Amino acid sequence: MLHFRFIFRQINGSRNQAIIFIFCVALSLLILTSLGGFSSSVRRSMLQDARQLHGADITVHSHYPFSEPLLKAIHDYEQQGIVQGALVHKFYSMARNSRTEKSILSDLKVVEKGYPFYGRVTLLSGREFSEVLKEGAIIVDQVLLDRLQAVIGDTLQIGSALLTIVDVVTLEPDRPVSFFSFGPRIFIAAEDLEKLELIKKGSRIQFSYLLQVHDSALVDRLAEELSASTVKPQENVKTFRNADSRIKRFFENFLFFLNLVGMFTLVLAGIGIQTSLYAMLRESEYTIAVMKSVGATNRFIVIHFLAMVMVLGTAGTFLGLILSSLLQLYFPTLFAGILPANVTLAISWNVVFEGLVLGTIVVGLFSFLPLQRIRNLKPSFIFRKEIGKAPRGILSYSAVLLIVLFFVGLVIWQLEDVKIGLYFMLGLCALIGMTALIAQGLMFFMKKTTPRSLILRQAFRGLFRPGNATRAIIITLSAALAVIFSIYLIEQNLRATFIEAYPPNLPNAYFLDIQSDQKKEFADILGIEAEYFPVVRARLLSINNKPVNRDQEREKKGDNMAREFNLTYRDVLLKDEQMAEGDTLFGHMNNELANKEVVPVSVLDTVAEIGDINVGDLLVFKVQGLPLKARVTSIRTRTESKVRPFFYFVFQEELLKDAPQTIFSSVRIDRAQLAVIQNRLAATLPNVSVIDIASTVEILAGIMCKMSSIIQFFTSFSIVAGLLIVISSIFATRMTRIREAVYFKILGANYSFVVKVFTYENLIIAFSSALLAGLISHVGSWIVCRQVFSIAYQPLLSSTLVMIAGMLVIVVGVGLGASVSILQQKPINYLRDERQD
Amino acid sequence: MSINGLEAVQLSKSYHVDSRQIVVLDNVSMTVQGGSFVVVEGKSGSGKSTLLSLLSGLDRPDAGTINLVGTDITDLSEDELAPFRNRTIGYVFQSFHLVPSLTAFENITFPAELNRDRQAAAKAKELLRRVDLTKRMNNFPHQLSGGEKQRIAICRALINSPQIIFADEPTGNLDSVNGEIIMQLLLELRRELKTTLVLATHSREISSKADSVVRLVDGRIENSSEKVNL
Repeated sequence: MLHFRFIFRQINGSRNQAIIFIFCVALSLLILTSLGGFSSSVRRSMLQDARQLHGADITVHSHYPFSEPLLKAIHDYEQQGIVQGALVHKFYSMARNSRTEKSILSDLKVVEKGYPFYGRVTLLSGREFSEVLKEGAIIVDQVLLDRLQAVIGDTLQIGSALLTIVDVVTLEPDRPVSFFSFGPRIFIAAEDLEKLELIKKGSRIQFSYLLQVHDSALVDRLAEELSASTVKPQENVKTFRNADSRIKRFFENFLFFLNLVGMFTLVLAGIGIQTSLYAMLRESEYTIAVMKSVGATNRFIVIHFLAMVMVLGTAGTFLGLILSSLLQLYFPTLFAGILPANVTLAISWNVVFEGLVLGTIVVGLFSFLPLQRIRNLKPSFIFRKEIGKAPRGILSYSAVLLIVLFFVGLVIWQLEDVKIGLYFMLGLCALIGMTALIAQGLMFFMKKTTPRSLILRQAFRGLFRPGNATRAIIITLSAALAVIFSIYLIEQNLRATFIEAYPPNLPNAYFLDIQSDQKKEFADILGIEAEYFPVVRARLLSINNKPVNRDQEREKKGDNMAREFNLTYRDVLLKDEQMAEGDTLFGHMNNELANKEVVPVSVLDTVAEIGDINVGDLLVFKVQGLPLKARVTSIRTRTESKVRPFFYFVFQEELLKDAPQTIFSSVRIDRAQLAVIQNRLAATLPNVSVIDIASTVEILAGIMCKMSSIIQFFTSFSIVAGLLIVISSIFATRMTRIREAVYFKILGANYSFVVKVFTYENLIIAFSSALLAGLISHVGSWIVCRQVFSIAYQPLLSSTLVMIAGMLVIVVGVGLGASVSILQQKPINYLRDERQD
Repeated sequence: MSINGLEAVQLSKSYHVDSRQIVVLDNVSMTVQGGSFVVVEGKSGSGKSTLLSLLSGLDRPDAGTINLVGTDITDLSEDELAPFRNRTIGYVFQSFHLVPSLTAFENITFPAELNRDRQAAAKAKELLRRVDLTKRMNNFPHQLSGGEKQRIAICRALINSPQIIFADEPTGNLDSVNGEIIMQLLLELRRELKTTLVLATHSREISSKADSVVRLVDGRIENSSEKVNL
């Protein structure tokens, strides 16, 4: 039978540690449910409303005008009344305000009646989209009005057409976030498409056919039938269920990364749970020894303390859920700018249940070893206050193994990727293991060190007082800080390379879709020397006769081989290129090449790595419907990672010069002059799109910074776990610290001496943690910057110093805050208690 | 009064437990001559330890004054008392009260180092030799026996050559053999250093070795005289 009063008195007797334990459990629940809630909210809005996200039941995509057989199949279904279709064209073009003479690259969406079949395009006026978007009218983003200083009623020149702004779009169901776009949205009625005169050969237009299927049971079958009529791989049929979207991919990747951070914090919170429970049980050791001496069995004691853990775990769970709900209120601010407009943030019951189950398992696993330890406590403890070392039997090894297996399983389940899950766990173990190893080395050094300064010496000695969780604190704080600081260092280095130190000689404006016959006119408008790159669009069908698996490729987190590539032709290396493999770009002539059965191609090393392509491999491309066999003759590499045009596949000029192509140009130009040229191009060559690279990079940097701060926000929870262990450790060693402080005072030390000893002790912990975190994060960031991004690495010493200083302030502040009552103890009070004891 | 002696006048001290007031010392006055060995004798709960803690400045009296080696310590703040204690007083406790995280040697040098004494190490080694514990100098308190701990505590009490030593039941936690050794050592060293020793005990045997004895009963000095001039 359980003695509830005993349980509650034990909790009350160790209330400080109990509070820390509750906070650690709450922290793990907070992480699990808030991230789980956020993920499920985003996924729900993306998946549950997948019809809205795609605007249709079936979507057919192509970068070329749809093939006749496909169009015939669609029209047949339409005539039979099985489906209703709407053609959508998406492309970029310059829009120019005739009144203000300003122009901007815009994201055009030309839609037929019926779009969207699901969801609703919301307008500022509140009117119905279909009633507003008529021939001659356009609906635009507020950003466009701001940038062009335009108002409703103004006329914009888009291509060859003059169209009037009639309304402002506030929500687009199939574009929940807008930061992927190079320009603001303009909706145009399909009736005006011809007038634009922007659909030219080689233009980068996305053709979409949206289909609403009247009988939803037919969706999959119709999609299958339509797929049979497509030209592969350029035409792609997807249902709302299996359709992929860039936004969805982005959020999947982002949530994936946040989940990694969540797992990391959960591990550290688990260490906090274990440390605080060890401390709490240590405070009950005397009671346990007395209970054992009067005949209480281990079973009886473990059951009571297990019940105590459960009570505290439940309290922590509820606190975690409450904090998690409160945190959801902050999410819109935290995620502002990248949160899909249609997402409603709420924690579902599923997430709560999941959190409860996982939280219980985490508490159970991390409580096992401390509870196991009390079994080892002998009744003789009441005479000699010593306890045997923590048991290292099969049970404890099993507990450790269970913890590892649980986290491996959890990570794989959360990340839905066995390989990455295992890599993550290995990485995490390596990080914690390396931190533990260095921390151990540091502690060995500190133990052997005998500084001349008395205060410093006492502080060093204090680190090793029984019950001090010095090692756990250093490991937790430094691992958490290393992750946070690494993210910061990588972000700052990327920013320094691509934004702040944007090289003055690099192009800052890109011009896309220049038709071959417009090159001279374009050059005249530009008026300065520019680089010109012919662009031929193609897809890769196979590598060494092995077809490119489109579905598998699209699953990849980074770039993939299934997308459309821009091929180019030239005979020389670019300024920032050098040969990685092969003597020359196109190798030596052999029979195969001489017979023109196969053409030579030079491949950039990055894509070679993605597709596992080597020199000598056979690639088959599809260029404008025609197959092109190419033999890899060389692999190029870039000497610097800068914002400079580069091409994955380079061919010989004579082979591609007759293929349908556009010209891409890049130039370094003054921002003010760019605006003038932009206007002139909008007026005379409206099909040419202008991308202001500097401002685009700035926008991307803004998003990067935002994402980085979100990840840092969640990682900072792991710092909280570390600080909770600091407090727990201080509480756990409260009596020892009081005794030390009292002895110091009796022997003649004043208050300031004792404060200094405790401060130095915390400073040593903070400094060691920060130094360790700095070391790990610099090594890690250096590897990422040099090996992954191939950019120069700046160690950012001033930021490192700020990080160290911040850590010192936080740890010393928390440490001294928790020690106030200890410092205020008068010697006589302790001595009197000791006498009574 | 001698410059290195002690004078306490009408000391009173009481504690509150819940709403109950417990008078521990009631109007106690005494004077101790410099260089003498005084025993405060009494049964458990008679107020011996409280009297020693007041006399040594570890606690404040509710009423009365204390003059220790020429300094009125009654109203000194904790931070004023600390350096005074360090230079003037040595303590030996029943429970040894060695700092667990410091070695025997470090425990001894600690008060001297606080006093910025450059000879701290040399003095500690000499004291360790004197108490025959040189071999145990690098041991931590938990690695020492009770008798060894108390010898280290005596060394620590003496390292700053204090003018007065307060010893609260120094043999209380030791067996009779060790207790005898400790007492002999304490008295020997006191004689050598010409230090005043105020020792609380309930042992009549120890009292017999004292220059004078103050008997406490229920917080009062037993003989009717309120001021005992020793």
